Amino acid sequence: MRSVKTLATAAEAGRHQREWFADLRRRVADGEPFALLNADVPHEIFRTMDIPYAVSQWWASLVAAKQRSGHYLDLVRQRGYPDYSEQYNSVTLGSAFDPEPEAGPWGGLPRPDIVVGDATGDVTRKVFDIWGHEPGVTFYPLESAAENEVPANWWELMPHRWEQAVGPARLDLLTAELENLVRFLETTTGRRFRESRFREVMALVNEQEEWNRKTRDLIARTRPAPLGVVDSIPSVMLPQWHRGTEWARDIARRFYEEVRDRVDAGHAACPGERARLMWIGRGLWYDMGFYQRFQDEYGAVFVWSMYLAIAADGYVRHGDDPMRALAARFAAFTDQLYTPPWSSEWYVKEARLHGIDGVVHLVSDDPRGSYFTARALEAAGFPVIEIHADNVDARTFDDEVVRRIGQWLENVVLA
Amino acid sequence: MPTALAALEEAYARRGARTAASTRLSVSMDPSVSMGPAVSTSPAGDRTPVVGYVGADVPVELLTAAGVHAVRLTGDPDSGSVLGDRYLGRGVDPMARSVLTRLLAGSFGDLDRIVVSHDCEASLRLFYALRELRRVEPGTALPEAYLVDILHLPHRTTARYNRRRIGEFAARLEAWTGRPLDLAGAVAAHDERRRLLTAVAELRRAVPARLTGRQFLAVANAALPVDEHIALLERLLAEAGRLGEHPGRRVFLSGSDHDTPHVYETVESEGYVIVGEDHSFGDLFLGEPVGAGGLDALAEHYHHSGPTAHRATVGERAAHAARAVRHCRAELFVGYSRIGDEAPAWDFPAQRAALDIPAVLLERQEYGRADLAALRKEHPCAV
Repeated sequence: MRSVKTLATAAEAGRHQREWFADLRRRVADGEPFALLNADVPHEIFRTMDIPYAVSQWWASLVAAKQRSGHYLDLVRQRGYPDYSEQYNSVTLGSAFDPEPEAGPWGGLPRPDIVVGDATGDVTRKVFDIWGHEPGVTFYPLESAAENEVPANWWELMPHRWEQAVGPARLDLLTAELENLVRFLETTTGRRFRESRFREVMALVNEQEEWNRKTRDLIARTRPAPLGVVDSIPSVMLPQWHRGTEWARDIARRFYEEVRDRVDAGHAACPGERARLMWIGRGLWYDMGFYQRFQDEYGAVFVWSMYLAIAADGYVRHGDDPMRALAARFAAFTDQLYTPPWSSEWYVKEARLHGIDGVVHLVSDDPRGSYFTARALEAAGFPVIEIHADNVDARTFDDEVVRRIGQWLENVVLA
Repeated sequence: MPTALAALEEAYARRGARTAASTRLSVSMDPSVSMGPAVSTSPAGDRTPVVGYVGADVPVELLTAAGVHAVRLTGDPDSGSVLGDRYLGRGVDPMARSVLTRLLAGSFGDLDRIVVSHDCEASLRLFYALRELRRVEPGTALPEAYLVDILHLPHRTTARYNRRRIGEFAARLEAWTGRPLDLAGAVAAHDERRRLLTAVAELRRAVPARLTGRQFLAVANAALPVDEHIALLERLLAEAGRLGEHPGRRVFLSGSDHDTPHVYETVESEGYVIVGEDHSFGDLFLGEPVGAGGLDALAEHYHHSGPTAHRATVGERAAHAARAVRHCRAELFVGYSRIGDEAPAWDFPAQRAALDIPAVLLERQEYGRADLAALRKEHPCAV
């Protein structure tokens, strides 16, 4: 079942993405440097320096949506590497091994000059480091640090009191790493880093995410839901990869306005809405139709994914020192989504805000603290069903999942 | 009097076992109990705090300097891991799941604190689970957990961060115990243990080997206070002439940590002898002494420890494998990657390319198990 997008903003974002990528390929062909960045590293530095970049996870999602992840994982396996490990990054690594890269989606991913990733987990650094051994590619790693004690209410602290939420040790570390990254990029690309431009980029990001916050709040309080995640994910995530541009800020505003118009007109994503569902986990990129599969039969609509919600709560950082504020955006980014108590308390807050009736929780083999997420939601009264799969590796998805969720909706959520 | 090797193997067998003492104050004065992992007392009857620790990057010198009894927590492949599976999820290295299960079962006796390092993702996830369980399920009665966040990128930014974290840990220990640390004495003792273990490792590297891999694992990880461990290691070296010879095919074992002897026993039961390894329970962590220099030297030492599968690049691991294989004159390289511990499988292609001996990968292995079918097929070894 194919997903059906109905939002003009989503269509515009998709169109822009294709045009941007075609332009990116032209710029790279003309000799400009090209960076491949992991999702959770500070893109804003590359934006400030006008260094073209693409996001590893975005590319993996595109590959999965084109049902090509198996091809790239085969290429990884042919090099002797495991094809069952950290597929979200290794699918993109597979493109580096492709003897026919131009046969990839949208003409293929250009070969990067620079890859940047953080040392999350045991494998991410290895994946990017292996990439760094390809001819002409340099890997710049960032640390992934952890903290002993953290205040649980990060979403309240982050916009202004991020020093308190993240802690000075991690902020000092990442700020220093980023200062070094700027000099590395200045040296290797010849591009300049202007502080005034950096401040503009940081302000644009905050504006963009503030619009996302208004959109999130509007969807949360509207019954029936004016849109589902099939529309909200591209409307927030494609601009997210362009954050720091005026286009991204403006389309975030238009996204809000379009949702507001829908609310004013009483438009429902799922007429006869009976259940509002929350999707916890990464997007199921190879089967986005999954999210609309329960609307007709059960009146169940996925109103929540992390993508709009983390845009709303996870990015805004105000402060006079832009480099430290940027470090504060990423020094604990994954903790917001995956580390209790931050993750578990936040999901409960969001479930309450959105009036959620049931939670579908995608659990992959990545160690992500899923027990505490489910526990917190169930303790707060939200039914949770867990499904086990990898979000870019379609080989791991069992169609039985759809039947299980149907039964759960009938017997638990709608009972 | 038993040989030193027998005493060390006996101490190793007792590690991780529950002590006979059921309460903190009804402690046996039997010296053998103090070898166990949980409750220990001084001759005057004062109870020594017991700290369980997890991971290769916990600076144990600081625990010794604080005067606590430090016990490295280990799992057990034979005792199930239902609770660990529940709290950590089945994507996490089963070694960590087993440790958590055993903690919840009270298998380590009464621990005053747990110190966890960020040596791998499983250890970090274990720390988060311990912290969260204390918060939301206080009935589990877990001791307070503390994270020592030592990182490993080879840069000055990371060195400064590590120094800060080491300093914070030292201050926390002083706050726990209420007394200053004897760091110089502790570092000297641990460096002496490293020196002796390095000498013992040469016995295993001899041709034929004078210790099996299983024996070396026991010698290196015997659950003993540092001073007792040193005394037995000195005796072992003095008794080296009485050790047997082990002429089996010489294997270098690479990859996942082995906190139990199961895999060593399985491999060596086929007629191989494991003469070297690159995980944190083996000779990877003998390394250089910390030396003088206090907390600065300690931070630098742990920053540069390894290279472990979880924190080093494939290039660093391959270069280390080539050096180590030559040093221990291995004839076969066995990469071992446990389910939920996938980093070693990423290392293997570069390791194989760097070696001039046959190499085989055992991947997606069950905890404590080694499926030797591939080994038997490609590299048969007569028993």
